[in-house]
Amino acid sequence: MLVYGFINSVILMMIALGFSITFGISRVANFSHGGFYILGGILTWYGLIKLGLPYFLSAGLSIIIVGIIGAVMYRVVLVRLRGLELSEVIATFSLGIVILELLRGLGVFGYEFRNPVFIDGSVEIFGVGVGIQRIIIVCAGAVLLLILHVFVHHTKMGLAFRGVAQQEHTALSVGINPDQVSMLSLAMGSIMCALAAVLILPLGVISVDEGYDILIKALAVCIIGGLESTLGVLVAAFIIGYIEVLTSMYISSSLTSVIPLACMLVILLIRPSGIFGKSKEIEERV
Amino acid sequence: MEYLKIENLRKTFGGVVAVDNVSFDVEQGTLLGIIGPNGSGKTTTVNLITGFLKPDSGKVLFKGRDIAGLRASKITNLGIGRTFQMVKPFYRLPAFKNLVVPLFSPRVKRMGGHYGEKDTLALDILEDIGFERDSAVPYKPASILPHGYLKRLEMARVIALQSELIVFDELYSGLTLAEVASISPMIEKLIETGKTIIMVEHRLKELFKIAHKIVVLDQGKKIAEGSPREIMKQPSVKKAYLGVEL
Repeated sequence: MLVYGFINSVILMMIALGFSITFGISRVANFSHGGFYILGGILTWYGLIKLGLPYFLSAGLSIIIVGIIGAVMYRVVLVRLRGLELSEVIATFSLGIVILELLRGLGVFGYEFRNPVFIDGSVEIFGVGVGIQRIIIVCAGAVLLLILHVFVHHTKMGLAFRGVAQQEHTALSVGINPDQVSMLSLAMGSIMCALAAVLILPLGVISVDEGYDILIKALAVCIIGGLESTLGVLVAAFIIGYIEVLTSMYISSSLTSVIPLACMLVILLIRPSGIFGKSKEIEERV
Repeated sequence: MEYLKIENLRKTFGGVVAVDNVSFDVEQGTLLGIIGPNGSGKTTTVNLITGFLKPDSGKVLFKGRDIAGLRASKITNLGIGRTFQMVKPFYRLPAFKNLVVPLFSPRVKRMGGHYGEKDTLALDILEDIGFERDSAVPYKPASILPHGYLKRLEMARVIALQSELIVFDELYSGLTLAEVASISPMIEKLIETGKTIIMVEHRLKELFKIAHKIVVLDQGKKIAEGSPREIMKQPSVKKAYLGVEL
């Protein structure tokens, strides 16, 4: 239980991180997140199974392609909608639906659409057998967090990102182009989304419906943790991750998909800006 | 060729003409003051020059090149820096990191250097501008600094940027007489080192002491231009400010 809760939490974190990074920097809520996730998985599958590329090449290429799609989406569409939050959501969500339904139309359905695990086998941790793929996911999650922290706090591009996130006008006045930074933030978020897909999808089957599921999970984690807060994402992922595992163990596994949404509703009621949210509480807003 | 030449600049917001055919020149190495009552179009003019707004018509010629309508970050990199009337620091960054951001801008890129090395440079600039180096002040996040420090931080930012033309938008507002008295010499020093300055200001007495030329705006139009001494005598200026002919 402890071990599986932990792994489940890390998976949730990886799913939500891309969404949170993009939103934290550019304020774009990328609702095509689920679409990008499945696209990352299916591209890897295509390269690996149909083209016969080596696994890591195929995975790497898919991640890059998804990143480019994210950047192009900003450059072509979102740049015209800046500040119109609802339009941004509609545009990104539409793209997500187009990707997912296109894949459905192309016949992505069934057991054949699955990526193999990186390394087969399992090891025993605290008396529980754990697949090596899951261990790789946990390690990758930790490395990703570390890289992200170093990037944001110790590189000049990270500093520019923080500048744009905190005070866009001042960033402009010191020669930073916020559109460029936002485009990069979308590319980064998309890359992290595809990376999560490459790592996590081998645990199951690639299905179009999961794309919608992933979006909802990412949203739930981000809203509970407080949008734009990486620490919030981490904490929220662990809260939901453990509650999910507990529910499936003691109540019913069919209820697990409800958990993120239920948690989200509770948090929205008691603390609308999330656990680590920086935006003002409702009373202050009036 | 004029250093900065504003030609028939015009900007409307809906039906309101905020800036109405305004023209003036700024000579290199001088300080131009822009004054006028509230709503006279001073800040709009600043925003048009620095690229934060696009003019409906007119030209902003900086060293002969029309920069009107260029992106603000581009104009910054051409050498025009600005401060904001309402202070806009990066609130969650420590004061000195606020300067590391401009130190990394393309404008100062030729200085080279890596992340971390710029910290000392930023602390030097802050010390020059009155942040006590050995105290905790430069390391505090901007969100908890008092207004006087934030105003100086605005100024430090354009110094870090090495802008050759600096636009101060109401730098003195909200500052005590003592604070103004400590900042004015710094501005004079910037002029001595060859910078050109435009100051939008309500504190006329302090401005007139250091300005070489004054432009007076009223309801979007330029109503007077001249040396501070000439401007003080103009009846139209008094009328714009006080609403009555004296």
